[in-house]
Amino acid sequence: MSAKIAVLGLVIEEPGPPHRLTAKLRQRLASAEFVDSNVYSALARLERDGLVRAVERRAPGKGGARLAAVPDVDPGLRTPVRRTPGSRTESRVFEATPAGVQRFEEWLLGSSSAPPLRDELHMKVALCQPHNLPRLIELVYGQELVCLGRVQELRRVFERMQPPAPNRWSGLVLVHVRDAELSFWDARLTWLQGVRESLERMHTAYGTARQRYSEA
Amino acid sequence: MGALLSLQGIGKSYWRGDSEVRVLTDVSLEVHAGQFLAVWGPRGSGKTTLLKLSARLEYPDSGCVSFEGTDLAQLSEAGHARLMLERIGWVRRSGPKSDLRMLDYVALPLLAEHGRREAYARATAAMERVGVATHAGQHWSSLCDGERALVSIAHGIAREPRLLLIDDPTANLDVLERERVTELLRSLADDAAIAVLMAVPDMPATMRAHQLASLGGGRLVFVPEPPQRPEPELEPAKVISLRSRQQSA
Repeated sequence: MSAKIAVLGLVIEEPGPPHRLTAKLRQRLASAEFVDSNVYSALARLERDGLVRAVERRAPGKGGARLAAVPDVDPGLRTPVRRTPGSRTESRVFEATPAGVQRFEEWLLGSSSAPPLRDELHMKVALCQPHNLPRLIELVYGQELVCLGRVQELRRVFERMQPPAPNRWSGLVLVHVRDAELSFWDARLTWLQGVRESLERMHTAYGTARQRYSEA
Repeated sequence: MGALLSLQGIGKSYWRGDSEVRVLTDVSLEVHAGQFLAVWGPRGSGKTTLLKLSARLEYPDSGCVSFEGTDLAQLSEAGHARLMLERIGWVRRSGPKSDLRMLDYVALPLLAEHGRREAYARATAAMERVGVATHAGQHWSSLCDGERALVSIAHGIAREPRLLLIDDPTANLDVLERERVTELLRSLADDAAIAVLMAVPDMPATMRAHQLASLGGGRLVFVPEPPQRPEPELEPAKVISLRSRQQSA
């Protein structure tokens, strides 16, 4: 999934400055590993495509908050907060255009494709020979540890957050995203353990048969 | 502080026809007071066997299981019964066999030790603790799966055990019910210093546990801690006062 569509969804949910959108993206899609610069480049592309627009928000004070569209958009998104002489702090806030809302809804309601499984270990399992079994068992076990390490990282990320309240919409969404991530590793680990177990059994049977053959 | 429950080098296998099925191979774990340990593994990986061995409901082929430093294999039948009555809570998912009210069901194991009034007071407190006091007068058949899971936990903690063994408490629960049950188990460990050993087949149910271990292919693997990133060393900020800058100007 591209950062562009995720950022567009967050902007539609609530217009905000880039730094706030970055924090929300990190919280909402913890394991997607978007880096902070993804948000800035996504906003630049969305703005170029007319899907979001920047507005200036004057900090509340005398005269109250005021929003005004920025007529000529400067790509200096990395400096969201700037000062103008004799005025209060202003920050650039991004909001979705009608075209942006329409694009997001088309994406959200469109069908999703299922990616084919083509990872390296999958291919090694498909192409291995009996004499490769000990090494392959080792590799599978190593992958199990990698997956478990990933689970632990995710647990830490979610542990740092406030426990989501699943009876509220925002909390429920977070729980579903977290479940999706954990269920992915759950399925992966189940597969790896099953593969290791059957390879170990095959290795034992193969070794016994070879021993009998050599004795005969 | 020593471990409450300790399993060292446990091996266990079953015979299925003529073939031996190795369920656990050299499994070791420790559970401490106030620790919530989740053992994750696919169905048939030996999670229930692990829990049964922890309560001496089955014997291991090899290795040693000890509780509070006592080897469970050395306990007499009476000693084991007392241990299960006072120190170890086994959470049953099956509910009562007879058509008891839920308060009677939770109070039932307490009646052997306490007077009727005391037993019912403790049962009520346990049901309030898990948030199912309103179901005290209901029967098992009238409860939904989430309520049954909570009543089962109330039944398990009513005797105030030091260790709670719980097998797949989130089976058939929806997301909200699952979160409620796992949050409750976490709070029992954090607030009441009960050691909780939970076995589950789905990863999301392990989220609130203090520690996670994976059981599969006979091996128990503790989830490795990710490497700690060193905190960046910050240089002390250079503070230049406005007055000194004006003076120099």
